[in-house]
Formats: sequence, structure tokens, C-alpha cells
Amino acid sequence: MISVAVQPRAARLTLLVLLTAATRAALVSLGEALSTGVFVACLGAIVLLEARPAVGEKGWSMRWSLVAGGVVGAVLVAPSVGNGLSGRALSDFWVWGSVAAVVAALEEIVIRGWLQPSWSAERGPVAGLMVAAAVFAVIHLPRYGIVALPLDFGVGLAIGGLRLVSGRVLPCAVAHVVADWGAWFLA
Amino acid sequence: MTRRGGRRTARGALGGLAVVAGLVLAAVLRAWLPSPPVYDGLVLPQQPYDYVSPPPNLSSSNVQPSSGEATFPVQNGKVAGGGVETDDRQAIAFFGLDAVHVSASAVSVKLRIDPVTNPPPWPAGWQIHGNVYKFSGVEQPSGAPAAVTSFQITLRYPPGPFQSLWFYDGTTWHELSTKKAPNGDPFAGATLTAFGEAGAGAPRGAQGDTIITILARLAETYGLLAFIIVFGVVAVVQEIRRRRKKA
Repeated sequence: MISVAVQPRAARLTLLVLLTAATRAALVSLGEALSTGVFVACLGAIVLLEARPAVGEKGWSMRWSLVAGGVVGAVLVAPSVGNGLSGRALSDFWVWGSVAAVVAALEEIVIRGWLQPSWSAERGPVAGLMVAAAVFAVIHLPRYGIVALPLDFGVGLAIGGLRLVSGRVLPCAVAHVVADWGAWFLA
Repeated sequence: MTRRGGRRTARGALGGLAVVAGLVLAAVLRAWLPSPPVYDGLVLPQQPYDYVSPPPNLSSSNVQPSSGEATFPVQNGKVAGGGVETDDRQAIAFFGLDAVHVSASAVSVKLRIDPVTNPPPWPAGWQIHGNVYKFSGVEQPSGAPAAVTSFQITLRYPPGPFQSLWFYDGTTWHELSTKKAPNGDPFAGATLTAFGEAGAGAPRGAQGDTIITILARLAETYGLLAFIIVFGVVAVVQEIRRRRKKA
């Protein structure tokens, strides 16, 4: 008999996140709005159901969190700057940008806010960092394909590292949103 | 240093290392992707289509489409395979090994894609949808035209009715067996067996956007935003209730 000695919360959270991503992938053929809406709803449900008060973790101040997140996001966007601007209209950005910000924030709350600390508590910070980065890469696999998997893992490592350094989710969410928004404006 | 302080320092060091390693990895791997990635699983809307002859409502903002060119070496009488794309990525061609045929004196072949300013008239009952592109190849250094057995093209088409790609062989247009990209991406591919001109076509009088399709698109875009706002409000209310209960 094989026994997996993993505490329930980390594994359960990981499973929930992966199931959420799988559901989104299954619904893509029915439209971007529906699949993303269900994804947001499922992440929101995880946020509501799995909420736990943070205990004994001191994080950076709001100002440092915003600065650090902005810097990491800008560094993620930097390699695309040389390609010039995309030409996408600013007037169309607001809706897309809002949706991207909400999805990014929810992903960060669930993955960096709860999943990573859960694995860290049960298996140590290296495991937490690696599992969170792997989950981050895998949930985007259906949309962006295998070619983006290593990149998403690298970005997951950077943002996960930011979580460890700062002790907060806010800089992770800021970095994620800045990187997403940069993709709109850059070619 | 206390045990807890030491643990915190170790976590900080691990986090710093992960940030640097992740950013370096991301910078290196970014070069593999044709456009900046999004990390949400969202799809970026396409950049505006660059028309040779834009519709009147887009004429002020239109950018003229670009050309593309690539030079392939001839080795042992065979032309290496590869791809050519226009700078705006609206037209792409892929050539397999030895698909392009050249004379014995050729040392390389220059393959080009150019938007056509005055395309030949379309067959009765059909209308052009987007630009027509000319695919051509010339030997180097002679400048003689090269021949080709087959190659794959991918054309982007603008919003509106689209049915298939067409090929103009110098005398008439031929409808091509066309494969559309999945997920509504506005790209279509086909195989050409000669150099010439190709473009996207639609039956004349085909319906573009109707009030229903416009409403559906608006619902798709703003419906999602409304859904997210409603859900966000619910989440905030839940959080406030939880904190009040805790207090």
C-alpha cells in the first residue's frame, strides 16, 4: 500500500486550484467570458471557503510592497520593451485590464497567499516555493501551451520568492498585474 | 540571533534567490515567445488589422501593412527550409527543405511577401476580406524567379465575414482548402503549390456584424466585468462580516 504523508490542507488546496484550471480549460470552447467567469467564481469560492487568519507573519509595509511588486513586474516586462508598442487602443484596455487585475489578484491570493504557505508549513519553504511555481505554470498550460510552461514556472519562482522575502501577497499581486498590463501595451 | 529570527533570515535569503533566479529564467525564456506573455490565462485582443485599403471609419487610424523578406542559402543544389513573415505578422509562409527549386548557379534565394496595392478583381459572388499578399522568390545573384513545389501560408483576416483563402495564379482565382485557427483566432492557413497572390475571401453580401452579434459581444465583454464586480462585492461583504464576528 502506498501512503502519501501529506497533510490535507496543502494537497486539498492544490487539487482545488488544478480542478479550477481544468474546468476553465474544458469551458474554453464555450467562450472566453464563460470560461474566465467560471474560473474567477471558483477561485473566489476557494478564497471564501479556505480563508484563514494570518498568524505570526510580519510583512513589509504597504509602500515597500507596492514598490517591490512594481519593480519585479517591470523587470518581467522589460525584455519586451525593445519590440515597440502594440497599437492596442487605450479605450479597450480598461475592461481587459480590470479583468486581468481581478484574475491576477485572485490567483495570487490563492496560490501565493494560501497554497504556498500551506506547503511551506507542511514540507518546508523550498517545497512551498516549488509547488506554488509548478501549480502556477500548470494552470496556464491549457491556454498558452507547453512552450510557455518553463517561462511561467520562472515567473512563478520570482513571484513566490517575492512572497517569501516580503511576507505579503500584495507585492506578488502588483508584480503579476504589472506584467499582465505590460503585455497589452507592448508588441 | 533567535531561532525564529534565523528562520526568517533563511526564508528571506531563499526568497531573494528565487526572485533573482526566476527573473533571469523569465528573461531568457521570454525570447521563445513571439509576443509578451500574459500570466492570467487571458487572451490579448488582436492588434488592429493593417489594411491596404481601410474601411472609411478606420482610415484615420489605419497603418499600412508591411512586407517580409528572408534569404535562404542553397546547399548542394537544395534550398534550406524556413519561414518568412511580414513585420506586422499578418502573412506568414513556411517552406520545407527543397520545396524551392533554383538553377545550378544560384547561391541563395530571396523569398518575399508583399501586400498588393491593386489586387486582381475577385470572382463573381465573392469579395475580398482584408489584404491580398504576393508571395515570390528570386534566385541570387541572377535575380531569376525561383520555382516552388508547395508551401504553407497563414493569413490574418480582419473582423467580419470570412469563409476561405483564395489563390491567384496570374489568370484566375482559386478557392483553397482552408484551415481556420481554433478559439476564434483570426488566422487561416492553406497550402500553395506555386508563387502568386493570396487573400481571404467571403461570399458577396455575407453578413458581418448584426445587432445580435454586437450585443452578444458586448455581453461577453461587459458581462464578465459585471460578474466579477458582483462577486467582488460579495467577497468584500463576507470579509467584513467575518471580521465583525471575530471582533
